[in-house]
Formats: sequence, structure tokens, C-alpha cells
Amino acid sequence: MASSRSDDDDKVVRPFAFFRAGARADARAANKPILTFDGVYKYFREDQPTLKDVDLEVERGEFAFITGPSGAGKSTLLQLVYRKHTVDQGRILFCGRDIARLTPKSIPFLRRNLGVVFQDFKVVEHWTVYENVAIALEILAMPRRLVRSRVAEALERVGLAGRGQEKTCTLSGGEQQRVAVARAIVSEPALILADEPTGNLDPHLAIDILTLFEEINETGTTVLFATHDHSLIASRDHRIISIDEGRVVEARTGLRSWGTAKSGLHAVG
Amino acid sequence: MVARARRGLREEMRLYLVAVTSLSVAFLCVGGALLATTNLSKVAERWGESGRMSIYLRDGARAEDVTQLRMVLEGLPETTTVSALTSQEARALFLEQSDVNSDLAGLPAEVFPASIEVAMAEGTPIQRVDAIAERVGRFRAVSDVETYRSFFDRLGSLVSAGTNLATVLGLLVGLCVFAVIGNTIRLAVARRRAEIEVMKLCGATDGFVRGPFVLEGTFQGAMSALLAVIALGLVFASMRGAIDRSLAEFLGSRAVFLDAWVLFALVLGGGLIGAAGSAISLRRYLTV
Ligand SMILES: Nc1ncnc2c1ncn2[C@@H]1O[C@H](COP(=O)(O)OP(=O)(O)O)[C@@H](O)[C@H]1O
Ligand SMILES: [Mg+2]
Repeated sequence: MASSRSDDDDKVVRPFAFFRAGARADARAANKPILTFDGVYKYFREDQPTLKDVDLEVERGEFAFITGPSGAGKSTLLQLVYRKHTVDQGRILFCGRDIARLTPKSIPFLRRNLGVVFQDFKVVEHWTVYENVAIALEILAMPRRLVRSRVAEALERVGLAGRGQEKTCTLSGGEQQRVAVARAIVSEPALILADEPTGNLDPHLAIDILTLFEEINETGTTVLFATHDHSLIASRDHRIISIDEGRVVEARTGLRSWGTAKSGLHAVG
Repeated sequence: MVARARRGLREEMRLYLVAVTSLSVAFLCVGGALLATTNLSKVAERWGESGRMSIYLRDGARAEDVTQLRMVLEGLPETTTVSALTSQEARALFLEQSDVNSDLAGLPAEVFPASIEVAMAEGTPIQRVDAIAERVGRFRAVSDVETYRSFFDRLGSLVSAGTNLATVLGLLVGLCVFAVIGNTIRLAVARRRAEIEVMKLCGATDGFVRGPFVLEGTFQGAMSALLAVIALGLVFASMRGAIDRSLAEFLGSRAVFLDAWVLFALVLGGGLIGAAGSAISLRRYLTV
């Protein structure tokens, strides 16, 4: 329903529309972090904040693990980004724009620039694989011919080429998660948020899915990968954002994609 | 959006079928009441318009008295036609109109009194008709004046009762349609919670999510009304012959079906109420 956008929405949407993976936005925006947390607090209970004074910067093209014990607030951190919840204090800048100030009407247009993947897949089981992926583009009112070719391309990237017409409920867990990943990447968002995407999968499938996210990251898409699986984290040398008792207590800088010269950027108080 | 609504209709077929079937019955009641009222008022209109008066003459009334009476009647501004009917003519007319000629053909002409049939101009007030009847009744040649008043009164009250019934039924059924469709849409929303969540996460606007549900509600409402109209049409077509043969001849007008615009309004109304029911249901229950 792109035609129903109000002027108000356009102000929010237009800048976001530049931030697709691979798209060359203007230099000023390209140099800025894609995501900035600035003194963010989130309270679910008045006496005990789930997130306390979180400062964080994520660069364009980065791959970062978000880790911490169960209940630490990993999901909450991601939910603040896709605006399932609103921050209680502080700012979150996505592409330089404070998303805490978005009106509810603008939230869909923020989400069109994000890909989200969950532990429980969140695929529609009675839809076909194709329908599950295509929905992300149908929302953008994309012509059907274009939808078809882009869905085919996304399915190929996640290793499900030619399986679009299968009912999603007949797929295995690992395959269903691949469908969810295809749906997240098909609109070529700049940032992918993965909330324990391997939590329901066997260890070898978990590695496969992690590798899949790394391949997506190679093409320039920023990936935030929340997991409490230490073996998974240890198998890679990506940046680690660790949450404990509501604070980001430790962050290993990315060794592979981000050199030591940039390590200062990620120091967190 | 239409494609997604079609998929929704296919997936919730059983749920929607139950709703459409019961709502059709409800619409059928409204349609039936409307049909009955339409035909009643048609009869009333026809008889009321003709504004007839039959002036029965005494046996052996003198010809000059009758002529004088006719002249007086013709002189009134309200009368359109004044025609005299002799006993023989009345008998012939009766035998012609009724099929039972075999038994009654033997009746003598004296059984049928001579009369003067008066047709009033359209829109003549009833008080005026009464006043004329009263004046005419004082003529020597006149035995009795029939203005068909009591028949009109009864018919009129029947028509207004029918109209009231149709109105109440219409409101009731409207409410019923609203509630039933609201409820089915609420159920459909609950059953499709997963896909609604997925769409919202992918950046679907409320309008994108709601559109198909509103279309589905509209379709259900319009479909129920349409089915009822078709059923009513079939019943009417199968009974029309019998009605025309028995009742219509006696009443002087043939059975008529509902006007095209009434049928259209029923279907449109069904669709609109369906849309409203689903829209309000979505407002309350779509909270992903
Ligand atoms: N919607 C919510 N309402 C109330 N409390 C919540 C809600 N979401 C999360 N929490 C609380 O916030 C804390 C962090 O939750 P979560 O972010 O899901 O942790 P993690 O994903 O790291 O396991 C938990 O103590 C949880 O009870
Ligand atoms: Mg979690």
C-alpha cells in the first residue's frame, strides 16, 4: 500500500530507501555507523531496567554476535531496533535517524529496511515456500514478474533453488529457517537482525545457518546475530557484543572484517 | 490484495460458508417481507387510485330520476367517468368474470341490481368521497352506495403493518449480519495470526493487512444477500402462476417481484454491512 503513504511518512521513508545492501548512498551517510545506541534504557519493570545505559555502534557491513545468558536482554535489544518496543531513555539511530521518534505509521517503512529472523522461524506453514518469501516483496507492491525473479534468486542463495512450490510445513527445521532467511534478504535490506536463529536446530545445521548469514554478510549486508551458543561464537572471530545484567559489558572487536585500526570505535563504556 | 482475499476465502471456506448460509436465510426473511409489502401496497394503490363508488339503484327506479342523478354526478369536478349498468349488463359482466357460469347462468337478471359506477379523479380526499356518497344516498332512485372504505382501511393498515415489519426485520437482520460477519472475521484473524505477524514484521501497513479481511467481509455480506435474492426469485417464479390464477384476479392486480433497484440495494447493503462489520472487528481484534 505504498500509495497510502502520507507526506509525513515520506520524510521518514525516503532516506531509508537508500540504505540497501550494495547501494551507494551519499558519502556522508556511508561513513556513519548504520546503527547507534546512545544511552539506551529499557524498562519492563519500574525497579529493574532490562537494558541500562547501552552505548553501541555498528558499522556498515559488520557481522556481530550479540551474546549473554538467557534473559540478559538480547532479544530486547533487537526488538528495540525493529520497533517491537520503544526505548524508555536514550536514542537509537538507524542510518543516522532516531527511530525512537518514528510515529507508529512509519514503523512499517522502517521494517522494510530490516530483515528479521527468529528462533521459531515464523514462516507460514500452510503457504508454499515461494509465498513465504514473496510476501516481503508484495508488501512493497513490486510487480509480479520482478517478485518471481527476486524470490528465485533469494531461494538460490539459501540453497532452496527450485523448491518454491513445496508446502512449507513439509520442510525440515533447517530448511524452514532457510525460507525465513530468504524472506529476510529478498528485499535486500541493509541490516539483518537474527534472534537465536539456530536455537531450534542441531549443531551441524546451526553451523550451516551461521555460514549462510556470513555469506549474506559478504555481499555487504550488516548482520546482528544474537545467540547464547558459545561453541558457535567460538568457531568464528566476529565481533562480540555481550550483555550482562542489562549492560553491554564486553565487546570483542571484529578481527576479520574490521581491522585493529577501527577497534577504538567499538569500545563501550 | 484481491489475490490474498481470494486465498483467505478459500482457506476459511467452511467458516464462511456457515456464515453465508445463515445470513442468506436472514436476508430471505427481509426479502420475503419486502415482497409481500410491495404486492400489498400495489393492490392498495390500484384500488385507492381508482377511487370507485358503486351506486346501486332501486328496482323500478324511474328513468328520469336516474338521468338526473347521472347529470349531477357528471357535473361534479371529482368524477372522471360515470357509467350506468343495467341489471342485464351486471349479470353479463358477472358471468363473464367468473368461471362458474354453468351453475349461475340460470340466475335471473333481477338478482343483479342496476347500478351507476363512478370513478373519482386521482387524489380525491376520502372526506369528499364520503360527502358525495352521503348526498347521493338521499336520491330517491338510490338504494345503497358502496365506497369500499372499510376495505381500503383494512388494506391500508395491512400495508403499513407490512412496512413496519419489513423495517424492523431489516434492522434486525442488518444487526445480525454485522455481528455474524464481525465474528467470523475475528475468528479468521485469530486463525491467521501467524501470517499477520509475518506481514507486520516485513513492514506491511495496517491497510495492507486489513484490506483482504474487509474484502472477505464485504464478499460474505453481498453473497448472502445475493443468494437470498436468487432463492426468493426462484420461490416467486414457481408460485407466481398459482398466485395469479387464484388471488390476483380477485384483487385486480398481478403479483410483482421486487424492483431491480431494491434487489441491488439489498446486495449492496449486505456488502456494506459486511465491510463495516469486518472493519470494526479488525479495529478491535487485530493487535499484532
Ligand atoms: N514484553 C515483555 N514484557 C515484560 N518483560 C519482558 C518482555 N520482554 C522481555 N522481558 C524481560 O526482559 C528480560 C530480557 O528478556 P530477553 O530480551 O528476551 O532476553 P534474552 O533474549 O537475552 O534471553 C527478561 O527478564 C524478560 O523477562
Ligand atoms: Mg531471546
